[in-house]
Formats: sequence, C-alpha cells, structure tokens
Amino acid sequence: MSSPFLGSRKSRRKALKLFFTYVALATLVIVLLFPVLWILSISLKTRLQVISTPPLLIWTPTLDNYREVLSKGAFIPGLWNSLLVAGGSVLLSLGIGVPAAYSMARLRYAGKETIYYILLLMRMLPPIAVLIPMYMLFDALGIRNTRASVALAYTTFSLPVVVWVMRSVFQELPKEIEESATVDGASRWTTFVQIVLPLTRPGMVAVAILCLLVAWNDFLFASVLTSTATQTLPVLVASYSAFELGVEWGPLAAAGMLVITPVILVSILAQKHLVVGLSAGATKG
Amino acid sequence: MSKFIDKYFYIFSVGPTVLTMFIVFGIPLGFSFYLSLHGWTPTPSLGGGPFVGLQNYIFLLEDSKFIQSTIFTIVYTVVVVSIELLVGLSIALLLNQEVPLIRMARSVLAIPMMVTPIVAALCWKLLLDPQYGFINYLIGQKLGWTGDPFLAPITVAIVNVWQNAPYVGILLLAGLRSLPSDPKEAAAIDGASAWQTFWNITLPGLRPMILVALLLRTIFEFRTFENVYVLTGGGPAGATNVLSIYTYGITFGQLDFTYGAASSWMMLVTVAILCSIPILLFRAMDRGRA
Repeated sequence: MSSPFLGSRKSRRKALKLFFTYVALATLVIVLLFPVLWILSISLKTRLQVISTPPLLIWTPTLDNYREVLSKGAFIPGLWNSLLVAGGSVLLSLGIGVPAAYSMARLRYAGKETIYYILLLMRMLPPIAVLIPMYMLFDALGIRNTRASVALAYTTFSLPVVVWVMRSVFQELPKEIEESATVDGASRWTTFVQIVLPLTRPGMVAVAILCLLVAWNDFLFASVLTSTATQTLPVLVASYSAFELGVEWGPLAAAGMLVITPVILVSILAQKHLVVGLSAGATKG
Repeated sequence: MSKFIDKYFYIFSVGPTVLTMFIVFGIPLGFSFYLSLHGWTPTPSLGGGPFVGLQNYIFLLEDSKFIQSTIFTIVYTVVVVSIELLVGLSIALLLNQEVPLIRMARSVLAIPMMVTPIVAALCWKLLLDPQYGFINYLIGQKLGWTGDPFLAPITVAIVNVWQNAPYVGILLLAGLRSLPSDPKEAAAIDGASAWQTFWNITLPGLRPMILVALLLRTIFEFRTFENVYVLTGGGPAGATNVLSIYTYGITFGQLDFTYGAASSWMMLVTVAILCSIPILLFRAMDRGRA
C-alpha cells in the first residue's frame, strides 16, 4: 500500500517540485508587488508613523496625505493636463495609425515595406535626439508649452507601435470575410469600418493601452515641452521627488499612488487583451 | 466618390501616418543633425551659430566626461539587459507550468511595467532611504544606496530590472506557449533529461522572441533617464551619468543646443552599433546550424 504522499520516490519528487514552485511563485509575486504596496502604505501613514523604526505594519490608515495633495492646487490641473494629453494622443495615434496598419496588412503598393521599417527605426532612436530640435521648432512656431505639442510628440512615439502590432493583428484575420463583403458591393472603406474594425477590438484595446502608457508615463518630453500651467503629473511628481526628500513622504507617496492607479486599473481590467498586444508584434516579427 | 476613395485607399490610409511622422519626427531629426554641425551662440536661434563641420563631434571625443558617460552607459546596458533576460526567462519558465493559482501570478506580471517610471524610481528611493528605508531595516545596515559611488549604479539598475524583467517574462511566456509540444514529448519518450530538453529544444525554439526582447531592452536601457534623474541625478561624482542625463544636462542645463545635438547623434550611432552585435551573432549562429 502506498499513500499518495509517502509512496513512490516519483510522487515524492513531484510533491517536492510543487512545493518549490509555490515558494518561487510567492517570492515572485511579493517582489513584483512590494514596492507598490510599500508606497501605498506610506501614503496612508502620518508623518510620525512614516519614520518609526521598526516600520509599522499595523496602523490606522489616514487619508490626510491624499487630502493634502488634492487640495494643493497644482495636482488637479496636472491631472487634467495628463488626461487631455494622454487622451488626445491615444485618439490621434489610433485614428491615424490603424488605417495605415490595415493597408500595410492587406494592400500591395510601392514602398510599403520601406515605410514599415522606417517607422520601426524611428521608434528605436533615442528620443533625446528629437527632443532638442522639437523644443526649438515648437518654440519658433509658438506652440511650445501647449498640451497639443506634447500630445503630438507622443503620437510620433505611438504610431510605430500601433502599426507594428495592428498590422500583425490584421494579418491574422481570415481574408475571406472581407472578400465576401467586397463581392456584395461594399466599398473598401465600408468593409474596413463596419466589418474589420469590430473584429479586431481586442487588438485595438491592447494598442490603446500601449499608447496610453507612452503618454501617461513620459517624463522627459513633458518636462521640457510644458510649462507650469500645462505640466503633466509625472513632471509634478518629479518636481517633488528629485530633490532631498526630508520627511514629507506621505503626500509624495499619495501623489505617486494617484498617478499610477489609473494605468494599473486599466491594465488589470484589460489584462487578457494586453498580453495579446504585447506579444503580437514580437512573436510575429 | 466611394470608387475614388477605394482607388486611392492606400494613400488615404497610410498618408496621415507618413505625413505626421515626417513633419513631427523626421524634420526635427534632420534639424538636430543640422544643429550638430553648427557652433554655439549666446542666443539660441533656429539658424544656430556658424557652420563648424564636425567640430562638435571632435570635441565630444576629446571630452573625458562624454567618453566616461558612453562607457558607463554601454556597460550598464549590457549588464542590465543580461540580467533582465535571465530573470525574464526564469519567470517565463516558472509561469509556464500548469498548477493551481498560476493565473493569479501571471496577472501580477504586467503591473511593474505599467508603473510610471518616475513613480517607480520614487518607490525605490523611499525603500532604499538610508535612514527610514525598509531595505536597510531588513538587512540591519545603514547603506547609502544612492550616495555611494559603488552602490549608486546598482540602485539605478535595480529599478529598471524590477520594471522590465517581468515584461521580458511576458514576451518569453507567450513564446513558450506558442511552441509546439510534440518535439518535447518525443524527447521525453527518448529519455532526454529536463535540462537536455530545455537546452536542445525549448531554448532554440525561443530564439526569435529572445532576439526581440534583447533588442527592445537594449534600445530602452540605453536611453534610460527617469530612474537616474530621480535617484542620483547622475551622481555621485558622475558615477551614474548615463548619456541621456549627460545630453540633457548640456542641452537644458548649459543651454548648449548644438553640442547636445551632436551628443544625441553620437548616442544614436552607438546604440545602432550595440544592437547590430546580437543581430549579427544570431545570424552567425543560424548559419552554423544550417
């Protein structure tokens, strides 16, 4: 008689393997989440609780830090700027890039591959190479310090990604669906808008998140191309944190949490789509 | 009308992308090269200073700060990308098993890469604070993670490995799951050990995804900026002065736009060379196999 646990050497080895797998999984999850949970905890502590040694693990959470950040005046305008810039850039990138990706997946025309590779190459360049001239050109045109100028800059980072991922998404659609629509007399545009687009919604969600990440998370371009009136949230948070901190950690952590919560929420809600989008371009080349 | 649109559909579809990229990205890129060939003027204007040819580039190559910064950036990139690939591959292999609760672990994987880099650096700045940081409390030391010239580069690297190794994990996990299972099963029947199967079947199958991850991470680590900006500002004493920080400093700190433009073009050439090495290496390996 052999019980499943004390039995053969094979099943014992299997149990041991499972044990180590879970230890490794637990470690992984803790390491991935800990930094975020740590600033979450700081954001809910008072000034004295933050500097207590050993660190407090149980305390009555306070929302004072969030109240302070939200009432400070600069945060709400910053949030508004971030939303406008990110929203504008996501819409522009998808509106311009998705049709281009579709035609690159389906049509034959001269220069198609060249355009595709030049786009990818542009995404590869160190962004600081275009930041300096953008600063000067936008200044000369009188559009520096506007939200539109940063949104445009982000659109040029996102477009190659949109084309890269969406092209492979469109290529995976069976051609027959579109062909039968064309036989029925629908124009290419109608086919694209009414038949192809609804079928590729998951891919579009993924790409929209990637564009959102570019625009929401960027600091470098926003720090140079915006003014105090048009600055986005990362610039605001950096202005608190780039210098010596003192003990004002609570409000700082609260501001940080407010910046990252929206993107983390979006990513959790669209988890499945996102993984598809992240790997679509990469696995299909 | 719709026939007209159909006939020129390719122009309507791809035209806006090409135009936007040319005007907003291409022209500035060309202009930055133009700037790099011109001298400094006290009032930065569109025309730049006098034409000086390659003088800015020559000055850069004689500038010990630039050379140090270049060497540091290359070493930093190679080390961080190697760690990210190794950790990412381990994560992918771990998460490729089918055990209960594994989905939860997979869903956590995308969180670090979502975090705004400035905020990620801030998280770690608080965690690694010499006085009140949790890490120093854990190890019972008072290490100056950002103030020590030996530790500062490690600190800067930790933030990016934490943010991006999981992303490599996502890519490679997708790769693992797209591999056919027959060769693996055949190998198991033939009595191959787990290690042999991994080395001879899984790893070669993953090569395209590994190359993509390697290139993407090299490109993005080479331009690293936010973690350094928040944690060390390039210090102490230039110990973490990556090229982005160096270029940012001369351009927007010293307002030397033309020298900065030249520096950014040097970055561009360096990263292109850096990326071509793995491409050529992988190609040579392919030829060796064939």
